[in-house]
Amino acid sequence: MMATIPSTLTQPWIRKRPFGRYAVVATVAILVLSPLLLIAYQSSLNGPFFAESSHFDTGAWRYVLGARQFWRAFGTSAIVATGMVGIGVPLGAVLAFIMVRTDIPGRRILEPAVLIPIFLSPIVTAFGYVVAIGPVGFISLWVKSLVGSVPWNVYGLPSLIVIAALTHVPHTYLYVSTALRSVNPELEEAARTLGAPPWRVALDISLPLVRPALLFSASLTFLLGFELFGLPLVLGDPAGLLVLTTYLFKLTTLLGVPSYQMMAVVALSIVVVTLPLVMIQRHLLGQASRFATIRGRGLALRPLKLGPWRWVALTIVVAWLLLTVAVPLGGILLRSVVKGWGEGVSLSRVLTLDHFRGLADYPNLIRGIVNTIALGVIGGAISVGCYLIVGLTQHRWSSRGVAVLDFMVLIPRAIPGLVGGLAFLWLILFIPALRPLRDSMIAVWMAYSTVWLAYGLRLISTALLQVGPELEEAAQTAGASPMRVRWEITIPLVRLGLIGSWLLIFMMFVREYSTGVYLFGAGTEVIGSLIVSLWGAGGLDLIAALSVVSVAIVSVALATALRLGVRLHD
Amino acid sequence: MGGLLLAAIGCGDDAAPAKPGDASKPDANKEVNSATGKGTPTVAAFTGAPLEIKASDKELLEAAKPEGKVLVYSTTDSASAKPLIADFNARYPEIKLEYQDLNSTDLFNKFTAETAAGTDTADVLWSSAMDQQMKMMQDGLGGSYQSPEADKLPQWAKYQEPGKTAWGTTLEPFAFVYNKKLLPADAVPKDHTALIKLLTDKTDLLKGKVTCYDPEKSGTGYLANSRDVTNFPAFWDLAAALGKADVKLYTSTGTMIEKIQSGEHIFGFNIIGSYILPKLKTDADTFGMVFPQDYTIGFSRVAFIAKKSKRPNSAKLFLDHLLSKRGQDILAKQSLLYPSRTDAEGEATASGLQKELGDKLKPIPVSNQVLDALDQTKRLAFVEKWQKALGRS
Repeated sequence: MMATIPSTLTQPWIRKRPFGRYAVVATVAILVLSPLLLIAYQSSLNGPFFAESSHFDTGAWRYVLGARQFWRAFGTSAIVATGMVGIGVPLGAVLAFIMVRTDIPGRRILEPAVLIPIFLSPIVTAFGYVVAIGPVGFISLWVKSLVGSVPWNVYGLPSLIVIAALTHVPHTYLYVSTALRSVNPELEEAARTLGAPPWRVALDISLPLVRPALLFSASLTFLLGFELFGLPLVLGDPAGLLVLTTYLFKLTTLLGVPSYQMMAVVALSIVVVTLPLVMIQRHLLGQASRFATIRGRGLALRPLKLGPWRWVALTIVVAWLLLTVAVPLGGILLRSVVKGWGEGVSLSRVLTLDHFRGLADYPNLIRGIVNTIALGVIGGAISVGCYLIVGLTQHRWSSRGVAVLDFMVLIPRAIPGLVGGLAFLWLILFIPALRPLRDSMIAVWMAYSTVWLAYGLRLISTALLQVGPELEEAAQTAGASPMRVRWEITIPLVRLGLIGSWLLIFMMFVREYSTGVYLFGAGTEVIGSLIVSLWGAGGLDLIAALSVVSVAIVSVALATALRLGVRLHD
Repeated sequence: MGGLLLAAIGCGDDAAPAKPGDASKPDANKEVNSATGKGTPTVAAFTGAPLEIKASDKELLEAAKPEGKVLVYSTTDSASAKPLIADFNARYPEIKLEYQDLNSTDLFNKFTAETAAGTDTADVLWSSAMDQQMKMMQDGLGGSYQSPEADKLPQWAKYQEPGKTAWGTTLEPFAFVYNKKLLPADAVPKDHTALIKLLTDKTDLLKGKVTCYDPEKSGTGYLANSRDVTNFPAFWDLAAALGKADVKLYTSTGTMIEKIQSGEHIFGFNIIGSYILPKLKTDADTFGMVFPQDYTIGFSRVAFIAKKSKRPNSAKLFLDHLLSKRGQDILAKQSLLYPSRTDAEGEATASGLQKELGDKLKPIPVSNQVLDALDQTKRLAFVEKWQKALGRS
């Protein structure tokens, strides 16, 4: 399986000039590069690009690159990102292996639960931690009553790294588990028969086989470390900790009016971080066919028997769930049903449903929730369709076009939301052809789809990577046209990847806010914009109630999907 | 007060004679006189002030009807604005009010970009970021409308220049807020000097538990602190005391309120009073608020009409409504926003504050003076001095 497959067999239907594929690459390039180019242009001016008085000036670059705070923030972001990869990726891989390849008890309940942190808004999660384990959090006060003091500090760098790592485990989990599902079980069974314990099977067989997914997860997690905003804002600020995004946030007010050029410089510095990531990834991946394990023969997936190891596995999973899901969610749930909390408050006396009542009275709430769900379900499905087209373009095409795509798709995600939202607003406003899109949710959908392209595409690519070429070749030999091969062979084989992608994109769309902040209007508000609006009203009570409602909705959607036969596992 | 109190009898088919050359769209820059005259039909009985009915209202309404809607960008959250919006909708059902609540940075970004692109944008801007509002006025983004209701506004709330007008609709105080359960009543400071003393004497109690806005990251914070410097010569001693007490700085009032309530923080300096008022009702055991007796700064939510507004008459209608006694009473009684109109009635009004504090109340005037908050050199210099005073450079 290590020999190179002659290109005539791997690319039987790539024409001399594959116009279709070039067209897709060009479209993606335009979508992805326009915000970036606009931001780069803005960074080299001395005022807003649409102001007549603005002209070329390197002042913004000189200020930011010469600012001690910028470099300190950069360093802190790098430390957080590294910590997230170091802790989060191995944990995610282990969790994926346990859930997907073993016979751990309670899988049906545990598996959906693992995905919960993905659709919790980061600021809400952070506040959940503050309410639960902050200086006067309810768990902290309980521990204080037992041992006299609170042995941890939820604010500060160590806590930020740990919490960020734990909450980003589901990203790794999602990619690695999708890949693991298509791994040939015979290889693992062989190892097991020879007497290898499950952890050995994982380390030596299963996980190496899903190296692309692991590498991608590591790159993505590292990138997300630079993107973190809500967590450092709530957990870092009180400790005087500044990361790149909160430094960016500072630049919106430091000079009185937002300084777009300086914000652009900081945004570009984050994008620059992604360059080496993708290059390393491509270099390490090498031959794609090594990872193709869906072969011509039909195989049933049998989970590995854990035996006595099952309790160890269960402990790991439950411990992670407690720390990452139960604690913050519990905090938010509690906050949504109490009038007050903290020092000197007896919880039983302040229970109330007033916040939910207040929520029901809030203007535009129902409309916002409906918009969010529609955007997630329908918009998400259309997005996945588009991602499939891009994925198929990359499929079996070993030319530079693929390399270019790989790099480009990460760029929109690399631009921090504070600047990305502005860039999308400017593009929609100043490109006449796009202006009419503003009044509908189409503009929002386009912005979201571009930003989450890397995520959605990756799940599909991972699945496509594991389809062995023999199946497609067989169909080709039997006379099917390339289109037919794709439609009847390739796509059905990757349906798990498609569904996983749709689920992920749905959750991301529900949670997203800053990308579309300027594109919303009356009638097109979503839960994210409602949360910000509620923030202005002062206090967490309504936000907590709304978060509980939003989590409930997504959980119900997840449960319904599972019930209706969408299976996370075979 | 030429208004008549009509109880759903009157119909006003004889409108005041149209001004020559007006047609149905009065010129945006022309002054609208408040003539006496017959009233417009009233909307079903609304509690509150009697309707001030002027002929000019009817004229304006007729001109606004073809426009059909008014788009407002505001930093006042939807829940607080809801009573005012509902009243407007009931009073003028033909005019659809689209209210978008945004934070001040987003409002600035969105409005300036849309205006530059020439697309449809807000007709009325209503924001608490006084410096940014005045900057937009200075840059020519704001238009002019001599609202007849503006006569009743205090002098500091009126900005009137050729072709430009802006109005301060509220006067909200920066107060001392504290957690009653954790700060003994006799320790509550009466003024800024007492605050310095409190911070120095009770450092153990308050260390890490005092909070205020971050002037670096919060426009409101900078506005307040820059006024503190002018009103309180010992401000830098206060900053030093805050630094020794490990003051926690935030940008969001919501966060500070939440932390004071939970007891994570005990004392808040320069917290916006209008946010605390509702808490004083629902959570009276926990929250305490005092206005510093040596001076209390107040900021205002500034409103103006967009110069290039596509619906100028509806915009004027909304602005009139916002500044009318009826609208301001709603702000006082239901939204608790300390409206600035001198004859507004309710528990939270600017005139009430004026009575309580006399000349110790220092409103930030709606004027070009506010623009020096945007002087970048001054700002950076202040921030640097602040960091040094806190001991955090």
